[in-house]
Amino acid sequence: MRPWVPLTAAAVAAVVAAAVAGGAGLLPGGGRSRASGTVLEATLGRCGTGWTRPRPGPQTLLVRNSGNAIAEVRLVDRAGAVHAELEGLGPGVTRPMRVTLGAGEYALRCSDDSAGDPRTGPLVRITGGGPGGPAVPAVSENDLADAVAAYWTKVTAGVGRLADLTGALRSAVASGDLGEARRAWPPAHLAYERLGAAYGTFGDFDTEINGRPEGLPGGVRDPGWTGFHRLEYGLWHGEGAAALGRVADRLDRDVRDLRADLPRQRLDPADLPLRAHEILEATLRFELTGEADQGSGTSLRTAAANVAGTRLVLDALRPVLRTRYPRLPEAYAWLDRVDALLRGRSALSDLSAAERRRLNGATGQALELLAPIAEIAAPRRTS
Amino acid sequence: MTDRRSFLRGALAAGVGGVAGASVAAGASAASGGGDDHRDAPPPLRGFHGAHQAGVEEAPLPRTTVVAFDVIAGNRRELTDLMRTITDRARALTAGGVPDGAGITGPPADSGVLGPSVPGGNLLVTVGVGASLFDHRFGLAARRPARLTAMPTFPNDALDPAWCHGDLSLQLSARDPDTVLHALRDIARHTRGAAQIRWRIDGFTSPPRPSGTPRNLLGFRDGTANPAPAELGRLVWTDDGGTFLVVRLIRMLVEFWDRIGIGEQERIIGRARDTGAPLDGDRESDRPDFAADPVGKIIPLTSHIRLANPRTPATAGSRILRRGFNYDRGVDAVGDLDMGLVFTCYQRDIPSQFEAVQHRLKDEPLVDYVRPFGGGYFFVLPGVRDAGDHLGRALLS
Repeated sequence: MRPWVPLTAAAVAAVVAAAVAGGAGLLPGGGRSRASGTVLEATLGRCGTGWTRPRPGPQTLLVRNSGNAIAEVRLVDRAGAVHAELEGLGPGVTRPMRVTLGAGEYALRCSDDSAGDPRTGPLVRITGGGPGGPAVPAVSENDLADAVAAYWTKVTAGVGRLADLTGALRSAVASGDLGEARRAWPPAHLAYERLGAAYGTFGDFDTEINGRPEGLPGGVRDPGWTGFHRLEYGLWHGEGAAALGRVADRLDRDVRDLRADLPRQRLDPADLPLRAHEILEATLRFELTGEADQGSGTSLRTAAANVAGTRLVLDALRPVLRTRYPRLPEAYAWLDRVDALLRGRSALSDLSAAERRRLNGATGQALELLAPIAEIAAPRRTS
Repeated sequence: MTDRRSFLRGALAAGVGGVAGASVAAGASAASGGGDDHRDAPPPLRGFHGAHQAGVEEAPLPRTTVVAFDVIAGNRRELTDLMRTITDRARALTAGGVPDGAGITGPPADSGVLGPSVPGGNLLVTVGVGASLFDHRFGLAARRPARLTAMPTFPNDALDPAWCHGDLSLQLSARDPDTVLHALRDIARHTRGAAQIRWRIDGFTSPPRPSGTPRNLLGFRDGTANPAPAELGRLVWTDDGGTFLVVRLIRMLVEFWDRIGIGEQERIIGRARDTGAPLDGDRESDRPDFAADPVGKIIPLTSHIRLANPRTPATAGSRILRRGFNYDRGVDAVGDLDMGLVFTCYQRDIPSQFEAVQHRLKDEPLVDYVRPFGGGYFFVLPGVRDAGDHLGRALLS
């Protein structure tokens, strides 16, 4: 682990302020400040100009947009790896970009909010110094297209299984055999949870199919509450078959609507890398706390289904990540640990306090390792 | 559930980004325009490396958190990795500096709670190990410090298991609460797969009111009769540079306490509330003369200070280094305030020091006004000598 570099916050702020006020001539020189005082241009026509005295080591470069369009800049090396980026750099704005640069050749790559290709500024050579900071080649929307297609194929197949199981659940409720309905509920619900529908994957369908009662004015009595958890609440709180029949019919209809709508839905490629950690973020928050459970005692089976949903995302992204994320095998290893801790478990109460700590810790560690994927694999304009 | 990120993307596409960027620059500009927050920098605290860990002999800082962790590491190697990681983080957090940037390879490495550059010399980190770490899991049974046990239940206790014990103790102290929380978030983030928080309590020390030793939430000065620095080698530090820590989480029933007369309060403690002086003296620093008051006419025989430290040759060796912190954590089921004392003390040997004191205090009148509900015993590991050393190295090698 590299020790932190001494640098006062005031130094960064002062450098930015001085640059905004009047340019490099006013900058405090030397001392403990590692801010270089260099101001790089972000406009397309002058991309990267101003980098006159490149030097190695940790430093704060300032990037100024003196044009009229919103700019986006990346600092890339000769191999194309991105060391830092600034998005949404407004006209007239100067912002700091913190980097650690080793020996090599670097350039600024600028684009604006027009459709045109990015421009690459003059190549700058740095000699000497220690190792540079972390950098990774950008992922383009094109790179992600195959991952998205592969993922969507599996999701589509999963929604088919979901529809079959939800149909069986609806039939069980309609037959009046609520014992059978309680047996049919978990497989159908888990089929949905395996899809990894975190943070809006299926838009409004997710709320209708898997919504929780919090946030509804009437809570568990709210007439607007629909879906698996509404049915779960009724099945495990002694509600009658007649009332639940309407809930099951509605759920079945919503799932069939989702299946029908799926070919028209388009997964934003930018969303897939986010799912790598978001699915399990929701698991930690709603399942490992027991918050989502409405009586079935299946929080841990849901958690296992969510891990499967996370693997779906990782497997699809693997070709993109293989060369970009050296800790991917570790992330898989921690998912394996989570799976092992969940195996054969259903309700949160099946676990002792010590077992819960192990599960929470393994999930947290997996999340720490999954979170970088959202940054690494975010689609970026490349050429 | 809504997509938490699409809004942001939408906003940038719509051109709001320029406005946001401008405000950042304006903020930075204002920061240098004389309205800067350069408080007079207090002198830096001791550094991380040393024969002993920080946070024991230094004067208590205004803010602290005491955290017990259970280790969930799978084996001895992972436990060693955990101790190395805690050491690395404690070293970096104590020294301060600019955290490494992640570029586009991940989320920011630091929470940013202390700004872009973490001030150095503002944090004391103290790490201990509990008896439970020496069970079958890591093959350490034979290495348990001989006198380290789990904290027993004392006669006046009302212990909640969820607030007791732990494989590791971590105390973080600083002048400001953001420094404490920044460090806790950092260490927890780097150790999630190897350790989980079992319990945690935040504490504070009050400023002198109006002078002398800080007061606890009973209104009395607490910690007056601590050993002198020169005595710590004999009373506190073990031969290898460690020390034994006792944590006791003690609820104070402050509403009840506030309903009893000042005379009774002072007889229960043995000191005057206003001055902190023993009841036979004038000043806080006066030494009580128990020999001159053999039947306790002035300082009752059952008073807290007299039982805790009878000041006889026979009890001189049982003295402890007390570090009390006040805690305040909300309201109980009958609407009374839940506040009290995070009692910590350090000693060479818990049975002959803390426990000897505790046995003398059994059934003291004060027990009606307090309720010990948690805590634990820990061995505070020897200090980290240099950049190549790590916490628990001798224990784990």
